[in-house]
Amino acid sequence: MLRGFEELRSQADGVWQATQSRTVIRVPIATCSIAAGARETLEALREGVKERGFDVGVQAVGERGLCWLEPLIEVVKPDGSAILYENVTADKVEKLLDEAIDGVCADLAFAVAEGPDVEGVQRLDDFDLWALQDRRLLARCGIIDPENADHYIAHGGYSGLVNALELSQEEVIKTVEDSTLRGRSGSAFPTGTKWEFLRSKEREPKYLICNADEGDPGAFVNRILMECDPQSVIEGMAIAAHATGASYAFIYLREEYPLAIERMEKAVEQARERGLLGEDILGSGLSFDMKVWVGAGSYVCGEESGLLASMDDARGMPRIRPPFPADAGVFRQPTNVNNVESYADVTLIMQKGLEFYNSVGIEGNRSTKIFSLSGHIQRVCVVEVAFGYPLRDLYHAVDPATYQERRKLKALQAGAALAGILPTHLALKLPLDPDAFKEHGVLMGGGGLVFIDDTACIVDMNVMFSWFLEDESCGRCTTCHGGTQRMVEIFRRIGSGGGRSNDYDKMQMLGKALQYSNCIHGSASPTIMLKSAEFFREEIDEHIIERRCRAQVCRDMIRYEITGDSDKLLEAAAICPTEAVVQTDEKWSIDQARCIRCNACKDVAPDDVRIVDALTDVLPLAVAEARAAG
Amino acid sequence: MLDTEATLEIQELVAEFKPGNADLLPALHKVQHRYGYVPKEAMGVVAKQLRLGEAHVYGAVTFYSEFRQIPPPKTRVDWCSGPACRLKGGEHVRRALEATLEIGMEENTEGDKLGLHLAQCNGTCDFAPQIWVDGKVVGPLTAAETIRLARELKDGAG
Repeated sequence: MLRGFEELRSQADGVWQATQSRTVIRVPIATCSIAAGARETLEALREGVKERGFDVGVQAVGERGLCWLEPLIEVVKPDGSAILYENVTADKVEKLLDEAIDGVCADLAFAVAEGPDVEGVQRLDDFDLWALQDRRLLARCGIIDPENADHYIAHGGYSGLVNALELSQEEVIKTVEDSTLRGRSGSAFPTGTKWEFLRSKEREPKYLICNADEGDPGAFVNRILMECDPQSVIEGMAIAAHATGASYAFIYLREEYPLAIERMEKAVEQARERGLLGEDILGSGLSFDMKVWVGAGSYVCGEESGLLASMDDARGMPRIRPPFPADAGVFRQPTNVNNVESYADVTLIMQKGLEFYNSVGIEGNRSTKIFSLSGHIQRVCVVEVAFGYPLRDLYHAVDPATYQERRKLKALQAGAALAGILPTHLALKLPLDPDAFKEHGVLMGGGGLVFIDDTACIVDMNVMFSWFLEDESCGRCTTCHGGTQRMVEIFRRIGSGGGRSNDYDKMQMLGKALQYSNCIHGSASPTIMLKSAEFFREEIDEHIIERRCRAQVCRDMIRYEITGDSDKLLEAAAICPTEAVVQTDEKWSIDQARCIRCNACKDVAPDDVRIVDALTDVLPLAVAEARAAG
Repeated sequence: MLDTEATLEIQELVAEFKPGNADLLPALHKVQHRYGYVPKEAMGVVAKQLRLGEAHVYGAVTFYSEFRQIPPPKTRVDWCSGPACRLKGGEHVRRALEATLEIGMEENTEGDKLGLHLAQCNGTCDFAPQIWVDGKVVGPLTAAETIRLARELKDGAG
């Protein structure tokens, strides 16, 4: 055992045990729960407990990822029994305190997490979206206080670093190689190999970077880890430092995650106070420290050479490679860049051992992956499942009611803007395995899964993603900044009724040209466009040939019309921001020149307003041309 | 450049930063944290401190969407541009906001009372489509609800 670790651990155990000796109410404080009002709940609970003179602890913890249940409060009794209560906003705190401290508050109860069964309340382990998970990286989320390193240490924290420090550099790298861990950002590059690149360099100092610039729209996997279990990321980085000889690290964190920044900074400080960062860590001879480095809102800085350029050169323009980061990274020194989740995986491997790590998952992709699920689903959430888990089963668990409704799932967009889009019939057959996604020419990506139903328009989705890619293009290579601009133009034109019969040829040509971009931002940018043309041809054809948007989303292809005459139209006229709902001679109509198609009139008078196709009755040249050409 | 009172204050603010130390963004963050935006004079001071060209600093400020070059509004409305919001009617919310406040993205109303900012997904997609009023998530919103809220904000600010 390394110097001082036993004391650290027994002190941490003491801190944790002290919180468990009486009833404790755990309140998740993280971005999703805060949005749901968890801070107000925490405040109300603290006041309520004080007023009533209860001997009850109120503890801020991380969140479990069940976003639609937030604030998801847990009441843990000294005997270890624990019940979760859903949507406990501040106004429900009185009721919770009335009933849940001495008994069970049945009205708010979501599930029994620990202890004996309670009549009428399900067990958390039986809840489908919980039962299908394999919570390893997220095991401590929602249990410990992320702002207290002792809680982490009391739950096995830093035992992985201790284990690693007892091994040689080569042995640690061998272990990581044997785990088959591949980069979790979506790149899927073997982590062990990357580490060996850095270890073999003699030039010093060497640096580590944690890529926490999670910019993929719809991905919030790393955010949960950093907000709810930040020490596990730091521990993984310290293990990497030992294995590679790196002496300093930067956590490149996006500015859009203010709470993650605060928590990571606090966690680094606490690790340093405990001698887990700094000079001669635990007497092992390893000296390693780090700091949080905050980005400023640039997607392309998530690309590793863009990230390095952002730190060194100020503008985050991806560099031409070689040289690779292992030769010339930050400050042109040898550098290794890994994703947040990859570092957390290393921690897990060193804490629990290879046998445990490899016990779930599939060949080549062992253990688990965290996913964030959003879009047209009932249960927005973050889950951790074993690699290879069937996507269909996961989808059913996050959207159980779809089959009873008229809505139909249309597409899945995994891995955000660069990764592609798949129609439902293909997507739901896939296991959660990056290699299976690749067979369809798309990427599984960093963990964002956006579900899209038939109320969405594929042309509109392309306008959104291509605009995003154009906006975030660094501008260095003309291929990318010009190419992404062309994508936007083509889809905007199709969406406004100016589609041409040769637009598919243009897309193909553009797709080929973009391959010559400097970095993956450009070369992968046509993926969604090309996959849309491949899989959603019929819908795009409708836009081009019939000038009709079946989802009635494309703004220039629709018109709002008044069909009723109820009093609600007065309200509609009042709400309209452009005064387009007008009444002449007691007859209501919409001034089409003023209407901005914001839908507000239909929000307040749904039975009196309808959306109609605006362009189908005009036969434009493009259609005549398309039809003549067959 | 003359050392005015303002530039002296900025000099002091960024005195800890060194050339060649990956310090440009941290310095700009510190400036923006203090003033709410990056004033033009600050770019010169930061450039001098880090021994960079002023154009280099200007390049960085304009490259990143989170650095502002105009003073922040009293009330900031962030519109989420993420996919989950878009799927659930985020465009309606945007049109409603822009029409009601009579400004576009990255603009302020008169007297900098209200400002609109195009924001990136932060993962609170359970509230899609959403906006953030001074950082606080508000959603899910219909266009009608957005207009009511925007009118209240406008009246409140006026």
